[in-house]
Amino acid sequence: MASSIRTIRLLSRSTGFFRNSSCCVASARLANVSEFNQRFLHTIKRTSLPALTQVNGQSVRSYSHTIEEKPTLKEVQDRVLKVVAAYDKVTADKRVRHYSEKPPLTVKFITDRVLLVLKLYDKIDAEKLTLDSHFMNDLGLDSLDHVEVIMAMEDEFGFEIPDMDAERLVTPAAIARYVADKEDIYE
Amino acid sequence: MALRSKVINLYKTLLYMGRDYPQGYDYFRDKLRKAFDKNRHETDPTQIKKMIVHGNYVIRELQALYMLKKYRTMKKRYYDESPKL
Repeated sequence: MASSIRTIRLLSRSTGFFRNSSCCVASARLANVSEFNQRFLHTIKRTSLPALTQVNGQSVRSYSHTIEEKPTLKEVQDRVLKVVAAYDKVTADKRVRHYSEKPPLTVKFITDRVLLVLKLYDKIDAEKLTLDSHFMNDLGLDSLDHVEVIMAMEDEFGFEIPDMDAERLVTPAAIARYVADKEDIYE
Repeated sequence: MALRSKVINLYKTLLYMGRDYPQGYDYFRDKLRKAFDKNRHETDPTQIKKMIVHGNYVIRELQALYMLKKYRTMKKRYYDESPKL
């Protein structure tokens, strides 16, 4: 019994069916040896078949039988674009990507953002806030609060405001105009 | 006026430094605000200059604190338990 198992192992290794060998060994304990050899020889026959045909050169091995001719470049491009568009959730319809570009700014949009940041600042009364209200005189902030407001604006618009300029920005309208000038927006 | 802009600059720098404060930015901002408010009526230039020097000292202390925090974090990441001394 042990010798037969060894021969089976040898066979299996030589034909490259090593992965099957463990289950073969397990079944070999129960099954008749001759019957097993028959089964195994069958697999050998099967595996060697395509190799033989290749040697004869009668048929080139093709993995899919349905391909009649090569697709044209246009078809390939369309297919690739379709797949890419399916994965691109942001701009699938426009096929324009902005990568790290900022959204286009308008004066209105800047003003809204300035007012929103000011409303979220806890020391400013949202009801009293208008576009032309003076931070110190109308809203009752002191110079340190003003520094915090300017810092919030720096965070919001992503650039640094020097102290010299910050001194002059005492109303929301002034801040909005300053940001628009920095971003080169004039309409 | 030069002193005033210096104080504002100091406040701004300290606020920036406080963003990574271990107990949170809001905690740091409140404390900083109280420290500045305590001396808000000071008018003596020499006194103000002394306080600005103290503020710069606090900035360096904060930097040292962050370095130490970074060092401890790295150490914790590389050694599972701190060595018993």
